[in-house]
Amino acid sequence: MARIIGGIGTSHVPTIGVAFDKGRHEDPDWQPLFKGYEPVAKWLAEKKPDVLFFCFNDHATTFFFDHYPTFALGVSDEYRIADEGMGLRPIPRLKGHAKLARHIAKSLVNEEFDLTLFQDLPLDHGLHSPLTMMWPTKPDWPGAVIPLVVNVLQQPLPTPRRCYKLGKAIGRAIRSYPDDLKVAMVGTGGLSHQMIGERAGFNDEKWDREFLDLIERDPERLAAMSIEDFMRLGGNEGAEVIMWLIMRGALDERVKKLHQNYYLPMTTAMAVALFE
Amino acid sequence: MFDLERSAKGLRLNRFLHSLTQREKRELFLRDPEAAMKNLSEEERGMVRRLDWKAMQDYGASFFCLEKLARTKGVTNPEMVAHFRGETLEQFLKTRRVPGAR
Repeated sequence: MARIIGGIGTSHVPTIGVAFDKGRHEDPDWQPLFKGYEPVAKWLAEKKPDVLFFCFNDHATTFFFDHYPTFALGVSDEYRIADEGMGLRPIPRLKGHAKLARHIAKSLVNEEFDLTLFQDLPLDHGLHSPLTMMWPTKPDWPGAVIPLVVNVLQQPLPTPRRCYKLGKAIGRAIRSYPDDLKVAMVGTGGLSHQMIGERAGFNDEKWDREFLDLIERDPERLAAMSIEDFMRLGGNEGAEVIMWLIMRGALDERVKKLHQNYYLPMTTAMAVALFE
Repeated sequence: MFDLERSAKGLRLNRFLHSLTQREKRELFLRDPEAAMKNLSEEERGMVRRLDWKAMQDYGASFFCLEKLARTKGVTNPEMVAHFRGETLEQFLKTRRVPGAR
């Protein structure tokens, strides 16, 4: 049977991918970020998950507002890298796991989560800006990804409670897959930031630290909050941390946080945390 | 807040901004901006010409669609955020912990 071996929460700021592509590993402005991902990369290299289940959002790149799904699951064996206005990142195409993804789709629909299902679409930095910090790109990706794309752009957004429940259902779906596979959950987004309006540039490290504590210890409390709470505490765009609740929902009730890093250089608090 | 009302009002502008994810559309916009913007209203064309991020956002542009125009024109997110705050980039960077991380 498939197993969930742990979970990762991570920011997906586009500049993380740019810093990686430009080789800023030793640049003093970026080194604290790269160092922060090293224990996660080491854990992945040791545990060798077959699949990373990625909860992230598209940034009006692949999906446009003429048809913007709330939850969309990728069921392909391969995904291209999306052009976001600057050409393509120099990284290989992503490998998918169509068989497990189809099983999860069936299982979720049976649990009354009627998702949008997509194939053969390119994916943007929401998935691969953190991925390149954790998983080697050469000679090729060491495993497959299953993308779950969440609407955190166009209100109304799914509630934090819905995200947490969906995570629990994804956990049950993965654990009911008959083949022996190791799966790690990844929830992306945040932490505090606001890109628009008069409050642009807003951050709150105190709330971010509390969030990092609650996601480990008391996700139920986060799930009971409203989207408006998340927007007030973490900024308009910071409310996307509800995607960490999907990751957390798929893990066991009690988890141990093995590692955490927090870095707030510019407009978005960049965090990564590892749970087992 | 980008909701369904804003999304409806900004649909045509957002569609143009989103089209800049295609290389040929970017090249056309850089070569002949008026041709690339032919489906926009005069008000919308004016905001794009001026790169008036705040006006476009107030009008109904999604920040994430504005990013496509910013990348096409070589404008960074800190420059956009400074514009929203009514500051110069230098003023904004003084409020940041690591001004070089961009």
